[in-house]
Amino acid sequence: MNNSDTTLQNDNGTKRKVMTLNLGPQHPATHGVLRLVLELDGETVVKCTPDIGYLHRGVEKHIEHLNYLQVIPHTDRLDYIAAMANNIGYCIAVERLFGIEAPERAQYIRTMLAELTRIVSHLLWLGTHALDIGAMTVFLYCFREREKIQVLYEKLCGARLTVSYPRIGGVKRDVDAEWLDELYRFTEEFPTRVEEYETLIDQNRIWLKRTKGIGVISAEEAINLGLSGPTLRGSGVPYDVRKFMPYGVYDKLKWEVPTGVNGDIYDRYRVRMEEFRQSNSIIRQCIEKMPSGPIMADAPKFVLPPKDKVLNNMEQLIHHFVLITKGPATAPQGEIYVATEVPKGELGFYIVSDGSGKPYRLRIRPPSFVHISALPKLCEGGLVADVIANIGSIDIVLGECDR
Amino acid sequence: MTFKELIKKIFFIEIIGGLALTLKHSLSPAVTRQYPEKRITPPPGARGLHALTRNESTGEAVCVGCGLCAAMCPTNCISIYTSEGEDHKKIVDRYEVNTLRCLFCALCVEACPYGAVLLTPHFEYSGYSRSEFIYTKDRLLENWDKYMGGAKSREYFDKFWTPKSADFARVDAKGSESGVNQ
Repeated sequence: MNNSDTTLQNDNGTKRKVMTLNLGPQHPATHGVLRLVLELDGETVVKCTPDIGYLHRGVEKHIEHLNYLQVIPHTDRLDYIAAMANNIGYCIAVERLFGIEAPERAQYIRTMLAELTRIVSHLLWLGTHALDIGAMTVFLYCFREREKIQVLYEKLCGARLTVSYPRIGGVKRDVDAEWLDELYRFTEEFPTRVEEYETLIDQNRIWLKRTKGIGVISAEEAINLGLSGPTLRGSGVPYDVRKFMPYGVYDKLKWEVPTGVNGDIYDRYRVRMEEFRQSNSIIRQCIEKMPSGPIMADAPKFVLPPKDKVLNNMEQLIHHFVLITKGPATAPQGEIYVATEVPKGELGFYIVSDGSGKPYRLRIRPPSFVHISALPKLCEGGLVADVIANIGSIDIVLGECDR
Repeated sequence: MTFKELIKKIFFIEIIGGLALTLKHSLSPAVTRQYPEKRITPPPGARGLHALTRNESTGEAVCVGCGLCAAMCPTNCISIYTSEGEDHKKIVDRYEVNTLRCLFCALCVEACPYGAVLLTPHFEYSGYSRSEFIYTKDRLLENWDKYMGGAKSREYFDKFWTPKSADFARVDAKGSESGVNQ
């Protein structure tokens, strides 16, 4: 982009030019490949134009050529630091479309893992956000806990990041008592770790100077911009998909929706710190209440049959071959929009089904895409240094923004 | 500003708290693993390099060339070429996995009715050309010999080749053959 032609008037009547500055797409503090075109008057941001699309993969179009089962690994790569939450959101959307429901144990496992993913995502957010603002120690401490959770993921499903663990109608593999014990030990230790992070930055004067009263967004503006998740709750709007449209077993558990007051960067940070504790408590409740039973729905038209029956039972063999080669070809026609609360906000899957085994259209409503549209509002009128703090505070990931 | 806040501000109380924490942690054992020197064993079921199961009695690949893994693969990284042999038997001439395209989602393992393809926990492999990453049938069987086989593979198919009958309510409740007349 050429230098801006915008000019500003000095007090003595002379004119001065505005400088155009490219922030990104390779800037490490833009959390991916986000490019911001900033027009600067000295250190003040006059205009901020986000330029997205550097990570566009055309995944929505690609999904139209895949059957419902094959889409799961592609949803991993939307918000790749919270892959499990995306998988769960997609599976719930497809299950509602098919009219099937995962068994109770699978629901508990999913809820537990969705919250574990929230912790992972917020840990990475806190680490990198603090690193952007200038506190490096927090980053190292956050990654210590993140590693523990990723080891748990690896033991459960074989992958650390792109898990592909939930399945349509249930989950891939049952959790065993040993794994649950290890997770429980983690949840016992985790609240003290959160206190450690707070010791480092919560009252730190540099942190407060960088976050308090900066990037303020009022509740009304936040709603109008379509923000969701902790970014919205930081402005004091207690909207949470898990409370308002419960899925999984959220309605059977005790937890609260933390909200902020001022809607500045500090409040958004506080909301996420409180979510650490709430998620931790949800995981503990899930482990304590975990029922025994099956983990896959009894829906042979949509769920792969058991491996030990495939070669012994003709119907199971037919279902197996049809499901894999054609997809769930008896899917009902129609359309559905299902929203779930992923760590970054409201992730929606809008599926149009024409009755074949493949989605006719699958539209993804990613929270990051909407949050980036709020960046000009947050940055304009502020300082260049606060642009970085603002990017961090809305918690974006470009994998799901560009899709 | 209250008197307490003023004292906190003058004496850098919160900074001292943070420094005390870092001091405490600098004296405790480090959690960093010195990776290339100290290696970790991935847990069983970790999704790494592909392998084809070798039939222990015949020494041949278990794969029958049905092509379900290739049909299930979200990135079309598996290609299978078959021909007709004696007694109209299907022979797998070529079985190739392009690991550069692979997502390591293990849907191929789920699709295979025979347990003929699997992902080994081996993840450290590199090469100088792209062609080295296209694994042919012989190399995939070699992977099986190197990283799987025996008790390790039995554990893998026991735990990670899902779903099993026990995962479904129906099979438990009404006996094994209730899948008829769906």
